[in-house]
Amino acid sequence: MSLHQLVIAAAARDPGAVAVAGPGGELRYGDLDRQANALAQVLAGHGVGPGDRVLIWLDKSPLAIIAMQAVLRLGAAYVPASGTTPVGRVAFMARDCGARVVCAPGVLHSLISAELRSDARCLNLDDRSWQHEGPGTPVNHLVQSAELAYILYTSGSTGTPKGVCISHGNARAFIDWAVHELGVQPGDRLANHAPFTFDLSVLDLYAAFAAGAAVCLVSAGLAYAPGRLADFLHRQRISIWYSVPSALIMMMRDGRLLDRAAPESLRAVLFAGEPFPIRYVRSLADWTSARLLNLYGPTETNVCTFHEVTPADLERDRPAPIGRPASGSKVWAEKPDGRAPHGDDTGELIVDGPTVMLGYWGSAPQLGPYRTGDIVRLLADGSFDYVGRDDYLVKVRGHRLELGEVEAALSSHHDAAEVAVITSGEGIDCRLLAFIVLRAEANSGILAFKRHCSVSLPPYMIPDEIFFVTKLPRTVNGKLDRAALIDVVQLSVKEPAS
Amino acid sequence: MTPEPSESEISARLIAFIRERFLDGDAAGELDETSPLLEWGVINSLNSVILLSFISEEFGTPYLLENIDATTFKSVRNITMMLSDGNQRSRR
Repeated sequence: MSLHQLVIAAAARDPGAVAVAGPGGELRYGDLDRQANALAQVLAGHGVGPGDRVLIWLDKSPLAIIAMQAVLRLGAAYVPASGTTPVGRVAFMARDCGARVVCAPGVLHSLISAELRSDARCLNLDDRSWQHEGPGTPVNHLVQSAELAYILYTSGSTGTPKGVCISHGNARAFIDWAVHELGVQPGDRLANHAPFTFDLSVLDLYAAFAAGAAVCLVSAGLAYAPGRLADFLHRQRISIWYSVPSALIMMMRDGRLLDRAAPESLRAVLFAGEPFPIRYVRSLADWTSARLLNLYGPTETNVCTFHEVTPADLERDRPAPIGRPASGSKVWAEKPDGRAPHGDDTGELIVDGPTVMLGYWGSAPQLGPYRTGDIVRLLADGSFDYVGRDDYLVKVRGHRLELGEVEAALSSHHDAAEVAVITSGEGIDCRLLAFIVLRAEANSGILAFKRHCSVSLPPYMIPDEIFFVTKLPRTVNGKLDRAALIDVVQLSVKEPAS
Repeated sequence: MTPEPSESEISARLIAFIRERFLDGDAAGELDETSPLLEWGVINSLNSVILLSFISEEFGTPYLLENIDATTFKSVRNITMMLSDGNQRSRR
């Protein structure tokens, strides 16, 4: 069964059950089914058919889900962008994947350039006449499990984003695992915290749809309101929560989550995307009797390992392990020489199986195992501990990004002579720091560089702090000395633009 | 009783704080009332907490927590509007 058929089947079983809760109202399975069908017919009128791509540029909402379902029903694939994705990045994504249609609400629709309009049809989602259409002819294209369902654009090391192509079968493999592992039932209410552009959201949406449960959307704005985010858990009677640890830490630290008893509805808290400092996991375990599960998997492999937190983990001085294989994946570690690590040795985590992506859009297909670039240690019980990475892909408060892409954005500013970007701190305290050597006679300040980045980068990729330096520290071989850059921060030797 | 600050005063104090705390002084003076703070990466989910605690100390928490979300932090003008709404409500 493909991703859209999960909704069609749930609607047939119980059309009155809530499928999606807010922002902007509730959507029942029957309505979701009917509206997705009606929008599919509009998209078909714009020429969308099997094998096409449709970019959906829209804030998280029931309407975005209707659009995603409409695209899938035509045998096409959706490419999500959030309302905060800059227009330049959206244009790049649409051109890169050859989107046939770009769907956007009026306010964003008006930003779409003439150049992009010549490549793709643009559908203004403020025109909702289709919402009042009757049932119409069911649109339910039968797809093979290896066919493309969606493309998630992630940060690319060479300066442009890259599209991770996920098939219906890839997604179903980890969704089925999650539904089984968590025992998701029609009465469940799953929180959706992650934006639709991040892979975490796929589990929230489709595990709910597979079980005929409700997915409760956390609006993007609540990221700035930890107290309201904590309140959301109670108000929405959430039974399964899934987010990056940073969001949970923010709720505990700034949102008074722990001041109130945990909601009785809560039975599982899932987290992924970055190491979760164990002291915060201890606080969560004291607060709720819900299961605590650490999920692991880059966008390219989806969820491929998991670990349920045990009392023994809480005694550790490091984060809980990333655990054992999930979703039918085969997972192992290799040293650079190809051999398996022993004892305290570490190795790169490699994943093979049904959840591994089709490939990056426009690149050779991913045949065989995927090398994650994540360094792990094999524990005595057969599970894995996450150790770190050996490249410049970093996680800043749960967001994955390539330092090279941020450096490329800064370097393209006319006042930048040399730039380097590093991270400092860990978990929720992690900050993205940029160091810039200005050209002679340059007069740009911090804000000018941030503003320049905002043209091509989403807000989470804009450096938190920018330091102007007279030169970048280099090793004797002339390579950038990143460790010395951290010293620059610690000494607070910064030269403000003047 | 100290008179409540005017909207222009609130804006000026907010701009001064954001410049000093998050923009290293903003010597070029580019930040104004309408600068999109979230879009340009001036305010994020981390430092919004710092800004809120400044607001609470500086203006005596007239803001209502349930009214705060990303829209509030879109610009200095939006924050000012939220604060002056709060002032009016607390006077009633």
